[in-house]
Amino acid sequence: MRRSLSIAAVALAAIAVFGTTSALAQSRPRPAAASQSNSVEIGGYAMFGNISFTAADSFDAVTGSPSGPIFGGGARVGLPFGGLFVDVGAWRYRADGERVFVDDGEIFPLGIPVEITITPIELSAGWRFRIRQAPKFTPYAAGGLTILRYQETSDFSTEAEDADDTFNGFHVLGGAEYKITRWLGLAGEASWSTVPDAIGDSGVSAAFDETDLGGITFRAKVTIGR
Amino acid sequence: MSHSIARAGAAIVLVIGLITVQAQEQLSTGRASRAVVLETSLPAIDRGLRDQDPPRPARTSVESDRLRGGASIVAPQSIIVKFKDGVSPAGAAGATAQISGDVADRSSWANFDIVDIPAGADPESAAAAMRARPDVEYAQPRYRVHAMARPNDSLYPNQWNFPAIDMERAWDIQPGASSDVIVAVLDSGMAFRNITIRYESNRSFQLTERGPTYPALGVVNVPFAAAPELGPSGSPRFVSPRDFIWNDDVPVDLDGHGTHVAGTIGQLTNNGNGTAGMAYNVRLMPVKVIQGVWDEIFGSAPGTDDTVARGIRYAADNGAKVINLSIGREDGGAAPVVTDAIRYAVSRGAFVVVASGNTRADLIQPNQPNRLAQFARDIDGMVAVGAVGRTLDLAYYSTTAPYVELSAPGGDQRQGGTSAGILQQTLDLDLLETYERPVSQYGPPRADSFSYAYFQGTSMAVPHVSGFAALLIQQGITSPAAIEHAMEQFATDKGPPGFDQSFGAGLINPRATLRGLGLAR
Repeated sequence: MRRSLSIAAVALAAIAVFGTTSALAQSRPRPAAASQSNSVEIGGYAMFGNISFTAADSFDAVTGSPSGPIFGGGARVGLPFGGLFVDVGAWRYRADGERVFVDDGEIFPLGIPVEITITPIELSAGWRFRIRQAPKFTPYAAGGLTILRYQETSDFSTEAEDADDTFNGFHVLGGAEYKITRWLGLAGEASWSTVPDAIGDSGVSAAFDETDLGGITFRAKVTIGR
Repeated sequence: MSHSIARAGAAIVLVIGLITVQAQEQLSTGRASRAVVLETSLPAIDRGLRDQDPPRPARTSVESDRLRGGASIVAPQSIIVKFKDGVSPAGAAGATAQISGDVADRSSWANFDIVDIPAGADPESAAAAMRARPDVEYAQPRYRVHAMARPNDSLYPNQWNFPAIDMERAWDIQPGASSDVIVAVLDSGMAFRNITIRYESNRSFQLTERGPTYPALGVVNVPFAAAPELGPSGSPRFVSPRDFIWNDDVPVDLDGHGTHVAGTIGQLTNNGNGTAGMAYNVRLMPVKVIQGVWDEIFGSAPGTDDTVARGIRYAADNGAKVINLSIGREDGGAAPVVTDAIRYAVSRGAFVVVASGNTRADLIQPNQPNRLAQFARDIDGMVAVGAVGRTLDLAYYSTTAPYVELSAPGGDQRQGGTSAGILQQTLDLDLLETYERPVSQYGPPRADSFSYAYFQGTSMAVPHVSGFAALLIQQGITSPAAIEHAMEQFATDKGPPGFDQSFGAGLINPRATLRGLGLAR
């Protein structure tokens, strides 16, 4: 996980450096109010990153960490209305842990394996800010709906005792893309999401009174397309 | 045939041994003595399942006081006194002079003193006088303590109690704990050793006021054997045995209660024989703190509150992680000496389980509290346990009180007959309780013969919880308070919603508790 974080940080730093270098080469760059895109632009991406869960105590108790790596991908469609774009992305978090008992904040691991898988699909709409002086560097911001599938399976559990449920939430995100070539780019973004009332009825999340399956995600993307 | 010859040969060897071997250890309790005459006995006899015996009631003080005519609930001529820190021996002597008392030499595993008082003095009044002094932390009479169940009358299909609490799936998660966990059984002793002990029966007695008089038997040699389903004599399974009734390290069972209780905790399981136990891999610590009828006939010291307190401290100091108290008393007042000892044990990391009592159906004074249990709500890490029958309804005898925290199978033979009790291997009562026979057939007991018998009582519920605690400790919940909280959190609610005086938090649910919590489920 630390390695993933490091990679994400390096990617973000590279984008920042490239962006800064490009910007410094120009005099006082200003983002354009909107790009003048008059055509539909289609692209795709692969991403990896790290999520820090809002339900930090619960994830820490069961998986040993309040955060973890994510992997995913998606597609982006630039619409012929300035910088407007829509995005469909999906990623997956998967962690192994063990079941526990929590007493007055003290955690007793019970040695029973548990596997948690979270698979959100993010439907976003946003705006890409084209900078005339740095055409390879494109900041963007977006927001939208999150449809999250939560799966929890444990040893010694019956099917009814395992979890496989879908919840809805929303997210906002912001980032920047750097085009290495016309068709290939690197991007770094941060996202905040909330999926309320997804947990907290039972399990460790009830003990910690944590109900939200959202969190803050930092991710790096390799983009293909215009 | 060859088996018979072998047994006959063994008998001859035993007789020769009895004649030629000198007493190896003379044990004294002041007014009575016993001696180990042979460090072995004949092999244990297994007399099988006893499912046709009529039900006998769960134990209360009345049942346990038959030899005394129910007259004496306290040990005479002495009381328990705990002086405050800093009180010198001279100060203590001065204080006890007020009641014409003398401080006896302090017993082992005691942080309190026994004060001898004059013959005829009332222990209640003497204790009250001492409690009034500013240099005294507590004082109480030496109340007699007894077992909380009475044996009734046998193999896993007959053990409805384990499926009733989903033990088969619980054992999938945690199969029987391990020898790392020591469970102390403070009771009437345990059939853990092959040995022959010489007793003296010097007095005649009546079991009932108008009943026949049973004569003194003189010197008798009593053969003891380890219960085959608990483990062989000399097995490392039995650790730190201690007898606070006869003041030695041979806490053998002359009653059957302690052996039955130990069986529910740790009966050998998956061996193709007999019955199963909750935590069948644990080590057992036999600590004898109460008399059986035979101990009393042989003139032992009584099991009183101070005896129990010393036993609890001994168990905690010798590594017990669970202390099983299927004992109690209804008569008399509070038991601060026991409360203090239990707090000490919990502070040493021991989880304490005590019977809630068997007085709900008492015709004269229903629901008298078990004085050794009534402070359970005040101590995180100690639980008082009520009993349910096979229908999982409250057992007819199970005391209802605010201190009841959990319930577990204890059997209810009023609903389901003999086989609705809790089945375990114990001493064969036909050969043990010869005082139940006509006088003409009365003779020395045998404690080397075993059968599978159904008992009922909160005494039988307690070892389910003790075994359960051992499983939790093995699974990783090691703090006594956390063990209690886990048991209560996952208990199956019974009776009115939430905590109630009949079932406490509910019926124990070992499988759910051992499984613990996932993130969302």
